[in-house]
Amino acid sequence: MSAILVPVCEEEAAGMIRAAAAAGRRLAISGGNTRSGFGSPVSADAVLRSAGMSGIVAYDPAEMVMTARAGTPLAEIEETLLDNGQMLSFDPIDHRAIMGTDGEPTIGGVFATNASGPRRLSAGAARDSLLGIRFVNGRGEVIRAGGRVMKNVTGLDLVKLLAGSHGTLGFLTEVTFRVLPRPKTEQTIIVSGLDDEAAARVMAAAMGLSVEVSAAAHLPESVRGRFLGGHLPEGAATVLRLEGLAASVPVRAARLRELFGRHAPVSANENEASAHLWRQIRDVAPYADSTSRPVWRVSVAPSAGFQVVAALRLEAGIDAFYDWQGGLVWMRMEADPEPDLLRRAIAHFGGGHATLMRASAQMRTTVPAFEPLSPAVAALSARVKQQLDPAGIFNPGKMAGL
Amino acid sequence: MSETIAFLKPRADVLARRSTIIADLADLLPPEGLVHEPRELVPFETDAFVSYRRLPLAVALPTSTAEVAAVLRYCHRYGIPVVPRGAGTSLCGGAIPQEDAVVIGLSRLSRILEIDPFNRTATVQAGVTNLAISDAVSPEGFFYAPDPSSQLACTIGGNIGMNSGGAHCLKYGVTTNNLLGVTLVLVDGTVIELGGKHLDAAGYDLLGLVCGSEGQLGIVTEATVRILAKPEGARPVLFGFETSEEAGACVADVIGSGIIPVAIEFMDKPAIEICEAFAKAGYPLDVGALLIVEVEGSEAEMDAMLSLIVEIARRHGVRTVRECQSATEAALIWKGRKSAFGATGRIADYICMDGTVPLSQLSHVLKRTGEIVAGFGLRVANVFHAGDGNMHPLILFNANDPVEAAKAETAGNEILKLCVDAGGCLTGEHGVGIEKRDLMRHQYSEADLAQQMAVRAAFDPQWLMNPSKVFPLEGRPAA
Amino acid sequence: MQTSFTAEQLVDPQVAESEKILRRCVHCGFCTATCPTYVTLGNELDSPRGRIYLIKDMLENGRPADAEVVKHIDRCLSCLSCTTTCPSGVDYMHLVDHARVHIEKTYTRPPLDRFTRALLAAILPYPARFRAALRLAGLARPLAPVFARVKALSPFAAMLQLAPKALPSASPASSGLLAEPGLRRGRVALLEGCAQPVLDPGINAATRRLLARFGVAVVSPKGEGCCGALVHHMGREADALDFARRNVDAWMAEIEGEGIDAILITASGCGTTIKDYGHMLRLDPAYAQKAARVSALARDVTEYLATLDLPRLAARGLTVAYHSACSMQHGQKITLQPKALLKAAGFAVKDPAEGHLCCGSAGTYNILQPEISAQLKQRKVRNLEATQPDVVATGNIGCITQIRTGTEIPVLHTVELLDWAYGGPKPARLPA
Repeated sequence: MSAILVPVCEEEAAGMIRAAAAAGRRLAISGGNTRSGFGSPVSADAVLRSAGMSGIVAYDPAEMVMTARAGTPLAEIEETLLDNGQMLSFDPIDHRAIMGTDGEPTIGGVFATNASGPRRLSAGAARDSLLGIRFVNGRGEVIRAGGRVMKNVTGLDLVKLLAGSHGTLGFLTEVTFRVLPRPKTEQTIIVSGLDDEAAARVMAAAMGLSVEVSAAAHLPESVRGRFLGGHLPEGAATVLRLEGLAASVPVRAARLRELFGRHAPVSANENEASAHLWRQIRDVAPYADSTSRPVWRVSVAPSAGFQVVAALRLEAGIDAFYDWQGGLVWMRMEADPEPDLLRRAIAHFGGGHATLMRASAQMRTTVPAFEPLSPAVAALSARVKQQLDPAGIFNPGKMAGL
Repeated sequence: MSETIAFLKPRADVLARRSTIIADLADLLPPEGLVHEPRELVPFETDAFVSYRRLPLAVALPTSTAEVAAVLRYCHRYGIPVVPRGAGTSLCGGAIPQEDAVVIGLSRLSRILEIDPFNRTATVQAGVTNLAISDAVSPEGFFYAPDPSSQLACTIGGNIGMNSGGAHCLKYGVTTNNLLGVTLVLVDGTVIELGGKHLDAAGYDLLGLVCGSEGQLGIVTEATVRILAKPEGARPVLFGFETSEEAGACVADVIGSGIIPVAIEFMDKPAIEICEAFAKAGYPLDVGALLIVEVEGSEAEMDAMLSLIVEIARRHGVRTVRECQSATEAALIWKGRKSAFGATGRIADYICMDGTVPLSQLSHVLKRTGEIVAGFGLRVANVFHAGDGNMHPLILFNANDPVEAAKAETAGNEILKLCVDAGGCLTGEHGVGIEKRDLMRHQYSEADLAQQMAVRAAFDPQWLMNPSKVFPLEGRPAA
Repeated sequence: MQTSFTAEQLVDPQVAESEKILRRCVHCGFCTATCPTYVTLGNELDSPRGRIYLIKDMLENGRPADAEVVKHIDRCLSCLSCTTTCPSGVDYMHLVDHARVHIEKTYTRPPLDRFTRALLAAILPYPARFRAALRLAGLARPLAPVFARVKALSPFAAMLQLAPKALPSASPASSGLLAEPGLRRGRVALLEGCAQPVLDPGINAATRRLLARFGVAVVSPKGEGCCGALVHHMGREADALDFARRNVDAWMAEIEGEGIDAILITASGCGTTIKDYGHMLRLDPAYAQKAARVSALARDVTEYLATLDLPRLAARGLTVAYHSACSMQHGQKITLQPKALLKAAGFAVKDPAEGHLCCGSAGTYNILQPEISAQLKQRKVRNLEATQPDVVATGNIGCITQIRTGTEIPVLHTVELLDWAYGGPKPARLPA
């Protein structure tokens, strides 16, 4: 790749894209470049980065809405929100540790990858918080979609389409998103010693209660030691997060402890320890091992997660832990990524998708990183892409098969 | 009244082949599955946006995904427009047909297919009503959160088409935030599955795109939705204020203070009177504006939250605070609110606006709305979801008076433009339909609209699906 | 909703009234959700909103009824669930009444349909004829499956299937019991009715005993008969008004004689109609006022009993699924009293799911629309049985007959249970 293009404003970006489209020059899109190992390898002639377009454009805490340029560092946004007692509800994962990248994650990158963490289970994904966007399409036209109000059904929801499209449909220049009040207090209930299946049942039971568990994860014995400096209690840890008013969290916690304490040892972590644990789960701490051993991110029904893992264990060397009530499986392969085995198992247990998050450069060229789509959906996706990026200049190859 | 919004000109070739089309469609459907006698078509000429009416060519009432696919495949092959219809409760004319169109009614796809408490999902056919989902999962301790006021009658298919909201969306989000998967029949009859019981998309978020696409991208025949554990308790509280401005300011302060109740609903004096007459819910009649604030959780939690809200309300001069004392009372309070539009029929005809504005603009827009409507010599009742700025001015008029009807429509358009100009949008939860189609250029630039239309055309290049709706008739990309 | 009637059309008071009703409808569609036929058939034409539209179109254009419109109006149960649901206050009952009269006047039904309806109108309102017909039905019962196979004859199959296998003996002398001496809390007229005393004379007998026990004198005015509901719902307006006038005369004699506190009705279907006499006869100068007085005095028996403040009894360990007849809950909006009375009398009362839906009886509906009626019955029985009751209680003979053909659980009138609880004999249908 020769050039690195870093426009400082939307107009400049549009000009660069128009020029690229005219010249048939393909662009690799990036923000802070911390998630660039995503997907299949991109073959591009230049890199287009949003990092030059930075800054919070509008933020009124009473409205719970913020608008920021796409290249604004996530850290800057989170700090501003923290100062006002607010937060991003969807827990964007920081990919640096697991992907072995450095750089500064940007808010545009967060939404372009729909990067969501543990609280996604209860509060929705990045795409659910995203209210409006500005982007440049493959023709170099500036497009505005959505708005800055919570409820808006005016026209087609291009906002959702662009979220999670990994820079293949447009170059985000500005994002407007909903933020939430930061909970006053939090507590994590830890149920110890459960096997994967029992843990799935406990998590399902907890989510079925009126105690508003905001996140539920299961950390099998093999990964337990990698969290909180090894200070989690003996045995696998099934962890349930409670957040909210000081008047209510202890009451809800007591209910969970009473219910699950009958069958297994139960303990609790509060506030900073609890928050730290969930950051580690969010950022996939156990597999931030500075290797390039393949890591999959698997999304299935919560009842299917442990079954997929159990089926694979019979045929491949894997390690896994669970978030999202057991429906999000982080899976590290000992050697081969075994995409066919994995994808067959997912289909067998009711469907979902697996994304190859990390792998050696060689593996990434041979294994489709994103779940292959059915022919009809793939054809439809290709037609959609055609309407936004007719010349195919954005991130070619990244979502191979689309 | 004279119509100001045009429908597409009927395709002459389709009209000419009417009898053949009817005979062919009848073969694809079960007995009584096709309505085509002219007199029987009349009740399908409109939905809950009665200002506009068009007879359809025929109405198909399929009973399976396969039948929907067969009808679509046929219509696609012969270039026949299609208008999907759920329960016909659209307030923007989303289900109004046109002379050359086959209406595909989903009312017979009314089975609940699976309730899965472990994964907290319900899978239902598209014609199942919104409330029926909550009723079905209630014995297991769950509910389906989005609750449009028409939830008794409106279908989940229609909810997905319009990305419907409701009072409790302040906390739980709208349809798109609670939808996990759909079975979608594309315009050519191809059946695809998007999503499922897992979270997020494998590729592009086509599910997110389909939700709210107003029947233009395909027809949803089945849906898997998220169900949630019922809260331990819920308590609606009535706050009466002297003026709408005070109530509006109170809403902004409550949200700004970091408290998010499950719902904050607003009614002005005319709306209070209308709803009280129907529901006898005990709304205070001596106040100028009313907020229904609902909190939920344990008793301790509700008490804690309420004391904070009451404190804020006092700062804004609240005159009456009434906590409801029983589940029956709570049900009546919500019944009154949710019947507001229909109950308005007791005193006048109305059109219902649906613009959303930033909370800081609420008071200003309320005031201007009153002025605009008064300027036309009409009356307005306001009842809406204040917590998220989603306004529903009901413009009252006499439908048998063409002059008044025209004034009401013009006033409505001015109000919607006002919402956009205040930083909001034309529609928060009802959809664009036919009603707001020609205002789209007020909210979007040509490039914005062209991009949306191009994406739409990727699904339906011939513009056969609900073609007179959503996008202005000019500037549509050719097939 | 916008309407378009000419000034000339509006001269007709019926049309003028219907126009007013139509103007209230805002087409919101809420009514579709609670309409039993829409829920069953899934076609908007078989929903209140669809029918309102069909009627509107027919009346606005001053058109005679045609086969399509008739099909969908005929499928209406007149359960009035829609009027309970309607937030706009659309008076669907009087609109559909008008439509039925219009149909009867302007539409010629196929011969067999005409015959069936004439037969029903000639037999059901007259106890002696009805009793004789039921005896014949007993003989003809083996033919039911034969009739059922031919669609046009299905009403006859339905009639035979509905006819009770054994007929109770003719009702005891209607003079009845007098109040206990020394205790006189009221004086009421009790409607004897037409079909009920033939099918289940025990209901009014229990009513008399119960009232007597609490000091209420019961009279049966001479000349009173069928309330007219059966023919009213067939659109036979003149017949219906004749029945109404006859009853008004009978009751007025009592009202103006010794005086009565109420006219009690033990079949809610009849109650709905009698409470509407004032409206039905509003255009008859000779009867309008009298009919209004009668309607004002009409009470369902449970409405009246609720005013007597009956003593609370200890729990008796019997679970009652209460089926609220449509005419009770939608027609008369009586929802609380029957259940409160049963609870006070010591019964555990359960509400079945989908309680707003009709059981499919609806006057002669189960005869004229047997397929839809059977589906509704099945659904109703399923919901009732799901509450695992010992007995089903309801306040309308039509529902009692209908539900009895669908379940083994005993189905009784609410007053039969109350009479038993307050010292009367145990109803024969309850297991020993």
